[in-house]
Amino acid sequence: MKDVYFPDIAVIDSIRNETGDVKTFTMRFKDPDIQENLSYRSGQFFEVSIFGVGEMPISITSTPSRKGFFELSVKNVGLVSGALHSMTPSTEVGIRGPFGNGFPYEEVLGKELLFVGGGIGLAPLRSLINNVLDNRDDFARITILYGSRTPGDLVFKDEFKIWENQPDVTMLVTVDRGDEEWTGNVGVVTTLFPKADIENENTVAFVCGPPVMIPFVIKDLLNLGFTDDTIISTLERHMKCGVGKCGHCCIGHKYVCMDGPVFSYREMKAMTE
Amino acid sequence: MSRYQEHLWMINGRDLFDLMEVFIKTREVIAPVRGHGGEVIFYPIESIEDVAWDWQYFNSVLPPKRFFLPQTEIMYEYRYDNGYKITPRYDDRVRMIFGIRPCDVNALIFLDRFFGGGSLSKKSPDEEPLFPDSHYIRRRANTFIIAFGCHQPGENCFCVCCDAGPFLEEDYDLQLTSMNGDYAVEVGSARGLKIIYGNEHFFRKASSSEVDELSRIKEDALNKFGDTCSYMSKAIRRITEGKVDDSLWEKLAERCLDCGGCSYVCPTCCCYNIVDISLDDKSGIRTRTWDSCAFSGFTRIAGGEILRSDKKDRLKRRFFHKLSYQYIEKNKRHGCVGCGRCITTCLADINMPLVVESIRKQKVIVQATKRVRHEAEI
Repeated sequence: MKDVYFPDIAVIDSIRNETGDVKTFTMRFKDPDIQENLSYRSGQFFEVSIFGVGEMPISITSTPSRKGFFELSVKNVGLVSGALHSMTPSTEVGIRGPFGNGFPYEEVLGKELLFVGGGIGLAPLRSLINNVLDNRDDFARITILYGSRTPGDLVFKDEFKIWENQPDVTMLVTVDRGDEEWTGNVGVVTTLFPKADIENENTVAFVCGPPVMIPFVIKDLLNLGFTDDTIISTLERHMKCGVGKCGHCCIGHKYVCMDGPVFSYREMKAMTE
Repeated sequence: MSRYQEHLWMINGRDLFDLMEVFIKTREVIAPVRGHGGEVIFYPIESIEDVAWDWQYFNSVLPPKRFFLPQTEIMYEYRYDNGYKITPRYDDRVRMIFGIRPCDVNALIFLDRFFGGGSLSKKSPDEEPLFPDSHYIRRRANTFIIAFGCHQPGENCFCVCCDAGPFLEEDYDLQLTSMNGDYAVEVGSARGLKIIYGNEHFFRKASSSEVDELSRIKEDALNKFGDTCSYMSKAIRRITEGKVDDSLWEKLAERCLDCGGCSYVCPTCCCYNIVDISLDDKSGIRTRTWDSCAFSGFTRIAGGEILRSDKKDRLKRRFFHKLSYQYIEKNKRHGCVGCGRCITTCLADINMPLVVESIRKQKVIVQATKRVRHEAEI
């Protein structure tokens, strides 16, 4: 019987600074067989162990369509994320998972996709965006709307160009507050909606961002004609076990770690605390 | 009657004593013993002389769940020596739990299903185990259960309302019921039967009058609960449909002390935290400790936000988890076995029968009526 709490060892290959408090860690499992056989869905998460400090759930930001490594983007907000931030390449960490349901992929083949991200919320979306772009012919038009507080808080900046240069992709970025160098859009992410030519027909929206952003985005999407089933989002909880046992992530009768973290707006509306 | 029971067996009190001495030599025997304050607790025994017998107590102050889900357990050790080496810690001791009450056995069945993902459940053998918890399962699989049926409910007992007692129908190894100095022995599993046949000289087949006597004892025990009960079904329906007015939880929150005692004494509460402890700069342990949804920090997320910061939401959560139909469907029973320990423990008088009665009457009951009176002095 596999011990669901037993972490496998992964090694940090490289570390990229995204912002002042976000780093992207490229890792691979120490055991080549485990890395070889790694299979995950965009939207799933790993439980990351820093031995002696603890464990934290982190969404996988790399795409399953690219093999041989995986990436985690982590904001330095607490004990374990702080410890990870202090690490250097070739350090070992523990990894359990992947856990959770992940984004619908097969279900949205052939459709237009709208991604709405805020801050570090782009991390799980990036996995799906790259997955979709690696299989570009399987999907219709793609729109990516992304906002952060300041230009310094934008993550994955290097990839924006790559994304918008793909065929039939619209990419718009905004910040709440600009600075001297910023010449782009200013305003919350919903202010990008009128600038993008959004069709609700045959389109599915994926929304990830800080809790304060989500209700505003959903309200605007509903006004644009999206339905409870065509709005997909994720919920944040501190899943301690990842396997539906510890109880920390329960909302109503749903376990965010097993039934989520990806939910349709219809599912989210039906949840009672 | 259990399908393993060919006959009702009997064992003499003295022989049971001797049989237990045999068991103590070959495995860890956990039994009810009297603590220094006079309360009964489950503890590993070295001699059968230490046991508090079934007629000397109603139930232990704490459920025996800690022998399967310890308050703190080491899940594994890590050591750094040119790379991390992780060694899991499993508890594969061969154990026997003697004198466990039917409510607590039903709680274990609940936990088996929850941690086993269905693998230990006899009621749903076709269920695929989903993320089975090997730490729990290994402890549980090596533990033989000798339960004591209850002649006499304690003053806070309401197992009868929860389909969890006062006697077991299945899911035990052996069930003993005292009867005029002897014990009636019911067999509930293949390994229970093996114990009988392996120690046959201690047992005899019950006479037909003894079989009748056991039925009479069981019927009498049910009658002793009286007609005041904790009527669960209305509470289950209202909680499931979200029809319980929030004012109930607000009123209860005014007196809840946030102590988590209800969860700790509850035989089915099993939420936990995972905590690392470093022993030196190269090694340490990963532990699992009991946690409770009553604690405000239970839903803290990265950045410090607490999602159920309001005490009323935490109370609502706990009773939703115990009683909502969605959980009943998942766990094949509601999350209460009627042991009454929350009644005994809660300093603020918030407990299952009180909440059920408050929902039923749609007003906050200050103190639930005592359901059962002692009919006989013990």
